[in-house]
Amino acid sequence: MSVTVLETKDLTYIYSKGTNYELAAIRDINLSIEKGELVGIIGHTGSGKSTLIQHFNGILKATSGTVLLDGTDIWQDKSKIRNVRFKVGVCFQYPEYQLFEETVYKDIAFGPKNMGLDEKEIDRKVRQVCEFVGLDESYFEKSPFDLSGGEKRRVAIAGIMAMEPEVLVLDEPCAGLDPKGRNVILDLICEYRKKTGSTVLVVSHSMEDISKIATKILVMNDSKLAFYDTVENVFAKSDELIEMGLNIPEITKLFLKLKKAGYDVRTDIYTLEQAEKELLALAGRGKKNAQ
Amino acid sequence: MLSDITIGQYYKADSFVHRLDARSKIILTTLFLVIIFMCKNFLSLALMFVLLVVSVLACKVPVKMFLKSVKPIIPIVIFTAVINVIYATGGTELVSFWKISITTKGLATAFFMAVRIICLIISSSILTYTTVPTALTDGIEKLFSPLKVLHVDVHTLAMMMTLALRFIPTLIEEINRITNAQKARGADFESGKLLERVKAMIPILIPLFVSAFNRAYELAFAMSCRCYRGGEGRTRMKQPKMRVGDYMMLLLFAVIIAGVILLNHFFGKIV
Ligand SMILES: Nc1ncnc2c1ncn2[C@@H]1O[C@H](COP(=O)(O)OP(=O)(O)OP(=O)(O)O)[C@@H](O)[C@H]1O
Ligand SMILES: [Mg+2]
Repeated sequence: MSVTVLETKDLTYIYSKGTNYELAAIRDINLSIEKGELVGIIGHTGSGKSTLIQHFNGILKATSGTVLLDGTDIWQDKSKIRNVRFKVGVCFQYPEYQLFEETVYKDIAFGPKNMGLDEKEIDRKVRQVCEFVGLDESYFEKSPFDLSGGEKRRVAIAGIMAMEPEVLVLDEPCAGLDPKGRNVILDLICEYRKKTGSTVLVVSHSMEDISKIATKILVMNDSKLAFYDTVENVFAKSDELIEMGLNIPEITKLFLKLKKAGYDVRTDIYTLEQAEKELLALAGRGKKNAQ
Repeated sequence: MLSDITIGQYYKADSFVHRLDARSKIILTTLFLVIIFMCKNFLSLALMFVLLVVSVLACKVPVKMFLKSVKPIIPIVIFTAVINVIYATGGTELVSFWKISITTKGLATAFFMAVRIICLIISSSILTYTTVPTALTDGIEKLFSPLKVLHVDVHTLAMMMTLALRFIPTLIEEINRITNAQKARGADFESGKLLERVKAMIPILIPLFVSAFNRAYELAFAMSCRCYRGGEGRTRMKQPKMRVGDYMMLLLFAVIIAGVILLNHFFGKIV
């Protein structure tokens, strides 16, 4: 039996309400995310992904609808909203700009300090998370402004992970990084989930990246929730994904083409292993037909 | 909140006022401000008010936008009005209690001050709503160009103003972004004593300054890459031009100034 951690009911958010520039960024979103999932959130630019995740920790307050964390409305007690933010850690798009302390150590300690933990506990958390993201002690006393882009990104993500949130939400954690830097971050995310058992939500533009790590995929389209399903089931609807202007993994594209060319293959393939299996099966079937 | 700031906001529309040259709009607005302080009785004030209403309607910007720009200064208007009522002397006394006496003169002064401040805001809003910031600073540059004789670097000043106006919305957006990111790490801006609240701003201010300086460097670099070297010998793609409408409006304002002076002269001075 799986437990629901995060739930939304008819969530709608309208920017600049009451002016000429009124714009519904998300409309009637109903979701329930189970504990321990790694959810990939995709959707074209402006589909409302960032707007949606800012509701999960109460940065934005919905125009209508509710967000439930462990079954309780996060806005039930307005003064407790900070506790929600410690439970749902959100790392924004290009998080480097949140760095402000003199040293990397102090910056990562900012979140835990706000939680009101004692020195020892903060120190433990910071050291643990630094080791985890691969920042050794030589970084502790460096200024965060002297780091490279990829290192800054890691420090910023570490700053959120240090709060050990139940739900970790990352908005485009790989944006603007080279392939190696991206893989480092993706691996980190997987590791983190394995180690802590927390629920992780990752926003990304890259289907390729998402399909590598996610257990479920959430597709946003034109400020509405299009799909929320397992990776196979979502890729089985490749045609619709393409219609929404989304890119599907190259392997999936290949199988779609085979299908169009008249071969009887599955179209929900997205890993190399699945592809191998399916191709071998196809070859086998082909032999049988020939006999 | 922050997003309600309307300074330097342009409202796109196609109207007679939008088409006027920025220079004439600057002159007209300045004249308007001068005249509104020249008004000494209700008749002349009414004349100016009618002129203002006509201008607001002529620029095809929703009246709501003007109300929005007036809203933040209402406390100031009330404050000045009250001060005027209390401190003005002269005229017939209406009521008096404690050490305060309210006189007709006091009420009139308060009323005039309130109307003047509101007119001031609305008229400058007309200017910013109907003129794109670049045209505005170009206009200022042209108007002040005679100061070059005194070795004032008018072009640089105008360029600085253009850039400042251009970056107001960007910085506001940046502040929102940083505030949200720090809130997500549990930063608390709402509770605590004054000193604690000021301290709580540090995580916002430092990234803001860092990014503002970075932006400034990048901008300077991009400008020098495009061979920007100040105003000397610089020409414009779009030459602003005074048209018939501009001269007509200047003439109209001259007539109105004469009208106000006459009204002041023949109908007595209240304030
Ligand atoms: N602060 C804001 N004020 C007004 N409109 C906004 C604001 N932020 C976003 N929007 C609008 O809301 C819509 C959804 O934006 P959002 O940032 O959620 O998209 P997104 O899916 O995250 O896009 P991207 O992939 O480019 O990050 C967009 O049309 C955007 O223009
Ligand atoms: Mg986004």
